[in-house]
Amino acid sequence: MKMETLAVDPSALREEVKNKYRDVACNPHGEFHFHTGRPLTVRLGYDQAVVGPMPDVAVESFAGVANPFALRTLVPGETVVDAGSGGGFDAFVAAHQVGSEGRVVGIDMLPEMLEKSRSSARSMGLGHVEFREGILEEMPVEDGWADVLISNGVINLCADKKRVFDEIWRILRPGGRLQFGDIANGKPVPEAAIHNIDLWTA
Amino acid sequence: MMKEIGFVDVQVSRPYDTFGEARGEKSARRFEVYGFTFMARKPG
Repeated sequence: MKMETLAVDPSALREEVKNKYRDVACNPHGEFHFHTGRPLTVRLGYDQAVVGPMPDVAVESFAGVANPFALRTLVPGETVVDAGSGGGFDAFVAAHQVGSEGRVVGIDMLPEMLEKSRSSARSMGLGHVEFREGILEEMPVEDGWADVLISNGVINLCADKKRVFDEIWRILRPGGRLQFGDIANGKPVPEAAIHNIDLWTA
Repeated sequence: MMKEIGFVDVQVSRPYDTFGEARGEKSARRFEVYGFTFMARKPG
């Protein structure tokens, strides 16, 4: 078996990410190096007719980097997994698009985010959305369950991307789609910076 | 990587100026970091 050498330790990076995004969950109006909340949804072109009626708590911890729905709107009835669902914002947009005959499962590793997203789903009466604790490398979803996998700004924070994409492959049904937002750099990042775990969430 | 795993019909959106006017803008500009939407399909 071919063994890939990872740039950083996955567990250590996971802890770094938890520390950063715990703050986004509990202190969403704090100062971060990225945008958050409603202004970010405008910047990324989300349909404000959908975002506007959502309660602030459902939007304030949104910290995505692109719009997973930009290239394709979800179809009513689809089953969707949101990998790294955070405060639940993208899962709520997905829930709107798939309607009550569809299902959305959000997965996140942070208890603070799960508490927030579950509370928001209850307050919005979204019975077809649920949030499960887990990591992208081992998602608590059965083989071939999902019509669509969405994610937003999370895969780049995983040390072992090959393992994440293998896991996405596992949970998608044949013919299923992967549609996610993430960042890419046009200029190479110095090797030393790639191995500096503090910079992954900076 | 998506194609190596077997995904097909890979599409990429226009770039989003994700970090524009944010505190991280300087670093983002330095390495030309932008957000993108990616889409692909599992054959079947």
